[in-house]
Formats: sequence, structure tokens, C-alpha cells
Amino acid sequence: MSKTILEVQHLEKRFGDNLVLKDIDFEVEAGEVISIIGSSGSGKSTLLRCLNLLETPTSGDILYHGDSILARSYDQNKYRAKVGMVFQGFNLFKNMTALKNCTVGQVKILDRSQAEAEKIALENLEKVGMAPYRDARPDQLSGGQQQRIAIARALSMNPEVLLFDEPTSALDPEMVGEVLDTMTALAREGLTMIVVTHEMAFARDVSSRVVFMDKGVIAESGPTDQIINNPENERTKEFLNRYLTENK
Amino acid sequence: MKNKTWTRWLTLSFLALIFTLITPLTSTINAQDESYDQNLINEALEEPGTLKVGMEANYAPFNWSQTSSSNGAVEISNSPGEYANGYDVQMAVRLAEELNLTLEIIKLDWDGLPPALESGMIDAVIAGMSPTPERERQIDFSNAYYNSEIVLVVREDSNYAAANSIGDFDSARVTAQLNTFHYDLIEQIPNVHRQTAMDSFPAMITSVLSGKSDAYVSEAPGAMAATAANSDLMYITFDENNGFDTGQVNTSIAVGMQKDSPLLDPVNQALSTISQADRDQLMNDMVLLNERGESTGFWGDVREIWDMYGSQFLVGARNTLIIALISTVIGSTIGLGIAIYRSIPVDKKRNPISYFFYKLFDLLIMVYIEIFRGTPMMVQSMLIFYGSKLFFNIDMSPLFAALLIVSVNTGAYISEVFRGGIMGIDKGQSEAAKAIGMSHFQSMTTVILPQAIRNTLPALGNEFVINIKDTSVLNVIAVTELFFVTRSAAGSTYMTFQSFLIASIIYFVMTFVTTRLLRLIENYMSGSASYTVHESSTMPKTVERGSL
Ligand SMILES: Nc1ncnc2c1ncn2[C@@H]1O[C@H](COP(=O)(O)OP(=O)(O)O)[C@@H](O)[C@H]1O
Ligand SMILES: [Mg+2]
Repeated sequence: MSKTILEVQHLEKRFGDNLVLKDIDFEVEAGEVISIIGSSGSGKSTLLRCLNLLETPTSGDILYHGDSILARSYDQNKYRAKVGMVFQGFNLFKNMTALKNCTVGQVKILDRSQAEAEKIALENLEKVGMAPYRDARPDQLSGGQQQRIAIARALSMNPEVLLFDEPTSALDPEMVGEVLDTMTALAREGLTMIVVTHEMAFARDVSSRVVFMDKGVIAESGPTDQIINNPENERTKEFLNRYLTENK
Repeated sequence: MKNKTWTRWLTLSFLALIFTLITPLTSTINAQDESYDQNLINEALEEPGTLKVGMEANYAPFNWSQTSSSNGAVEISNSPGEYANGYDVQMAVRLAEELNLTLEIIKLDWDGLPPALESGMIDAVIAGMSPTPERERQIDFSNAYYNSEIVLVVREDSNYAAANSIGDFDSARVTAQLNTFHYDLIEQIPNVHRQTAMDSFPAMITSVLSGKSDAYVSEAPGAMAATAANSDLMYITFDENNGFDTGQVNTSIAVGMQKDSPLLDPVNQALSTISQADRDQLMNDMVLLNERGESTGFWGDVREIWDMYGSQFLVGARNTLIIALISTVIGSTIGLGIAIYRSIPVDKKRNPISYFFYKLFDLLIMVYIEIFRGTPMMVQSMLIFYGSKLFFNIDMSPLFAALLIVSVNTGAYISEVFRGGIMGIDKGQSEAAKAIGMSHFQSMTTVILPQAIRNTLPALGNEFVINIKDTSVLNVIAVTELFFVTRSAAGSTYMTFQSFLIASIIYFVMTFVTTRLLRLIENYMSGSASYTVHESSTMPKTVERGSL
């Protein structure tokens, strides 16, 4: 019995005259690992940002456990705490140590005590292999290290869903592995994840479902094996061909 | 006498215009009365029974500043511990006595005198001021209380000692001070041999004593001072038809009062009780009082000024520092508040009404910033300090006004600095804060502002240093800050360079120490340059920044 966490209905997003997302319908069930793939500019980031309300949808609806998060009375900050986000550029709070990055939200938003927050933060830093660096500030760490702390920060809020927007794109090649390994471990633990990625190996090996986006619409979506090995849509085939030849 | 350009005052002449429109025409006093109509006088005074007199206290021998009440000096009401003395002060004492009033001396900058008079902060200007046509448009002047004649200083044993007309100086060698109209007057002497102009009194005195010149041109008070100090010298006065023709230049000084002030007649009447002989004697006394011994060289002079006015310099420095510090703190708070306000996201569609009020207040803030950034602080000081008195009868203390003006100015500048600082923080920082559920306010206080403030600290420190220096314009509203004190010392001793050297050293020490302290705070806020790597099995090791 899988239960639906998020339900996106007829989502549309415009920037001025530019219609970036068109009639998106999309569901997220507990425990799923969804990879969103597609060429640059197809609207992947915008979709993710709509999901945690960094962008406000122009029309359509997003339901969280059946409630519309766009309703006027809905507590959007509380919702955001339940849907974590890992950014391409890490975005660690530059004025805080690694540990503080992971505790500040817990204390301010979840009302946890400082001691409890630190305990949870350390567990998560341990999980991503960054516990020894808890006293370092972001500008003292490498990109891969920063991204792993950003993941620990998101995990410390005990999110129901974790969104990743190209988490390895800004990294030097030798650091991509450490971040992907961390994400793979999380997926194995059963964390619900939506990952925008260009790492086809990760999409193929880790995700349970793949969504292919093209020009603001979901062109094709289905179980990983089906999309990667037997795509029906011409655009999907084209995209995958390009990537598979590039990566070989 | 004093003919400084009054451009600053002219920019404020609309104050005077409005004032004349709202002042009811008052009837003139019956001049035949022998005694004074005390009711009428009190009605004309800002505070019945007290004659408030404004002067600079830096224009010896007319008015100067000293640190004791010796020789009949009067304490300056707006600068405790400082006393005024000089010809003007003694005249004021006599006037107040004759009119049965208590005298209060208020020290003001030259440019602050007219607006102070018009706004009623003072009742009279007795400050070595000559009535000129421009001044007479805004101020009524009494009859002259001193007439400074043009005289010639000669050796007592020379052929000119008995002269009584400038014709007697036919073919003489005559000099005068550089850049004064005195030097031009020399040409009126027949067949004169005009000598090179000299730059100081000692130089001219030496020239005459040594016989290189036969005479030098001077105004009477200066001549008195010179002859008092040198028994070999004397000065020649001329009656009206035998002396120099000074043309447009007015050499008399008078008491300034508000236009159509009922005080005018009583003051003239009181002045008429002081005979010419009394006036000459008084000027003589004051010149002698102001006389100092031989100069002990440059550093000796500096020392002498410090010994005499050191306590005043320190009071001025303390006030300057207090004003700059408090104003920078208050101004930064204002600026920060504005910058935070302007960063609030208000959704026009979701909240049209709050959006309207948000924009309205935002507009007011913009007007505030533009006005205070776009006008000089001196003009603002004049308008706020004297304007509030003139139009709303609000009596601000100069210190309060100073804090208000500098704070509000700093706020206008700093709000833009903070706005830039906030905009300069990567958008990813606030998005990450939002993404873990922080409200705008939480994201501001925990993530954005700590970074923005750290980045703007150098600019804030800069503003503090600027404020230390900019308080010097506040002398127009009579704040006893360092610059004002310096001008008093310089004007009272005629040792301008020495006085300003002391001031510049104090200013430098204040700004230098401040800058170092701020550097320390900046470093502290940057956090330590290293961190400790925690490892379970081995000793913690420290990693230096940049070793990655
Ligand atoms: N804030 C924005 N304002 C205007 N246009 C935007 C904004 N963000 C994204 N877009 C546009 O939306 C389209 C989709 O962008 P994005 O979602 O970032 O694509 P992807 O992540 O798939 O590369 C692009 O054409 C981009 O230019
Ligand atoms: Mg993108």
C-alpha cells in the first residue's frame, strides 16, 4: 500500500509572457525516488521550485496529503520545512559553521532544544561523512564537502520529501562520486526523493521512476527500466541517445 | 569691522522674509522719556528680565573666550566653564545694568548670529558687527557703540609725532597690512612713498621702530595694542576733514536687534549714557588685557594655548566624540530599519491594501533619504535648529539638535549602504533559508543581516569617522564641539595656526583610534581563520584557512 504525498494538478507557470510549465500532472508516493531528466531550459528547476513554493504557480494546484498548499490560509513555511531542498550551488549559510547550518532550522522552526538539535545534526553529518568538519565554515570547505553538509542540513529537518536540483553539476568531477554515493545511500534507506539530474547512471541505477521533461511539459514518465530502455516518445529517445553516446 | 561674506545667511533669507511677515508691527517708544518703560522692554525680550546677547567670543579685542571669570568676564551660558570678555562684553554688561536686566551671553558662530536673532534665540547681537546695507535689511542697528578710526602709528620721537592731518605725512614712507583696504588708503597721502605691504602687526611695528617706514596704517584698537606694548610708539588720530576717506567701508560697530524691535530706543538711550571718553578708556583697558608677553616661539605658543584652553579643547573633543558615536549608532539603527522594511516582500495581488500602505510609506522613506542626502548638513542644522524655534517655538538644546541632525543624516546615508549590503548577499542564501521553512523575518535576522552587516562594517566605520569630522559644521548651532572651541582659541589669541594644529592632532588621534578599533571588530566578526577537525581515534588537528 503506497500512500500519495504530493499531487500536482494542471500546474502552469509563466514568467511574464513566457509559459514555462504547461499543464503538469504529477504524483509523488512515499518511498519513491524520482529522477527528472530533460534538456536545459525544459522547466525542470522551475517544477522543483514550484514544489516547495520558491516559485508561486500561475495556475493549477499542488496537494500535500490532500490539502492544497496554495490555499490562502495554508501555512507555507511549515510546509517548506517538510519538503527539503538541495541546491546546485549548495547555498550553505555562510555566516555559520557546518554544525550551526544543521541546527538553526531545527531550533527556529521545529522548536527543538539546542542539545537535541545538535545530536540530530551530528547524526546526519556522520551519515554524509562530514562530522569531523562540524566546526568549519563553508568558505573553508570544498564543493563536495559543502554539498554533503547541505544534504545533512536538509535531513536534519526530517523532511518527508527531499528535492535535489542538479546537486552535482557545480562540482569538480572528482567530487561528484562522494555526493552521488551519499544520495544512493539515502535512497536505499527509503527516503522519498525527487532528483533533477544529468547523471544518467544515477537515474538508471537508483531511481524507481523517471520523468522526462521537454519544453515545459512532461513528455514521458514511467518506471526507470521502461523509460531508459524502451522509451516511446521520440524526444526521449533523442535525448537519451545523445546522453548515452556522450557518456560512452 | 567685520565684513565676512554672508552667502550662507542669504540662502536662509526666506526665514527672515517669513519672519517679517508674521511679526506684527510694533509701536515705537516715546523717546522723550528719561527712564525706561520696563514693560515694553520685557515684552520685547524672549525671557522677561534677561538680555540674551549673542557673540562669537573669538574676535579680540571686541570679544574673546577665556577659562576664568577674571577681569569681569561673563560665563557663556551655552558653554559651561568658558567665559567671554572684551569690549563687546563690557558694553553688554553696561547696557544690561542700565536697562535693569540680567545679562546672558550666548556663544554662536558668526553665520548663526542672524538666524538666532530672528528666531528669538537671542535678543541682541553685540559682536563687533558693522551695520551694512545688506544687514540692515534683516536687522535693526542701534547707534554706534564704537567708532574705529583709521590712524597712523609712528615713533614717538619722529617728526610726525605732532601731525594732525594726513597732509602732514607728505612724502613719508608708509606701510599697511597685506590684503586690507588700509593698504589702498595710503595713496590718499600726498607724494607718499608706499612701502611693501606687511603680513602681520609685528612686522609693521618692527618696520616703524627700525626707521625703515615712517608710519603704518591701522584701526584704533590695533594701534592701542601696539602702543601699549611699545613705549616708543604712538598713534596719530585725525578729525573728520583731515583724515582718510574710507568711502563705503563702515568702521563703526553697533548693536543688532530684530527688525522694528521696541528695544531699539531703550538701547540707544542707554548707549548715550556712555561717554566717548569712557568708550576709549574701555577699549584701552581691553586691548591691554588681551596683551600677551613676548612670543616664546612656535611650540611655546602651542604650549601656551594648550595651557590656557586645554580643558576647553578636551570638552570639545568629548562632545565631538559623543555626538559622532551616538549619532552613528542611532543613524545605523534607522538605516537598518529602513533597509529591512524595504526588503519586505509584499504581494500586490494577495494583499492590495497592505501593498498600498507599504508603497506609501516607502515613498516617504525615499523622500527622507533624498532630502537629507541632497542638502548640506549645515543648511539642515540652520533650518531645524532655528526654524523650529522661529515657526513652532520649540527650544531644542544644541546638543539634542546636533544628535537629531547627525543621526537623521547618517540614517539617510546608511540605509542605502545597508540596502546595497542586503542586495549583495547571494539570492541562494535566502532561498536556502526559505527552503528549511524560515519566514522572511527569520531569514533576515539569522542569515541575511549577519552577513550584510559584516560586509557593511567598513562603510559604517567610515561613516563614524566622517561624523567625527562633520560635527564641525554644527558650530552654526552653537554646539561646543572641537572645531568651535578651536575657533574661539584662535580668535582670542590671534594664534590661528597653533590652535588649529592642536585641533588637527586631536581629530587625528580620534579618527585613528576609531579606525583601529573598528578593524578589530571586523576581524572578530569574521570568525577564526582556522577550525578543528574532530576525529574519534586521533588527536584533533587544526586546519588553516586556504589549506584545502
Ligand atoms: N525567474 C525567472 N524569470 C524568468 N524566466 C525564468 C526564470 N526562471 C526560469 N526561467 C525560464 O524558464 C525556463 C525554464 O527554466 P528552468 O526551469 O531553469 O529549466 P531547466 O532547469 O530545465 O534547465 C527557461 O526558459 C528560463 O529562462
Ligand atoms: Mg535547472
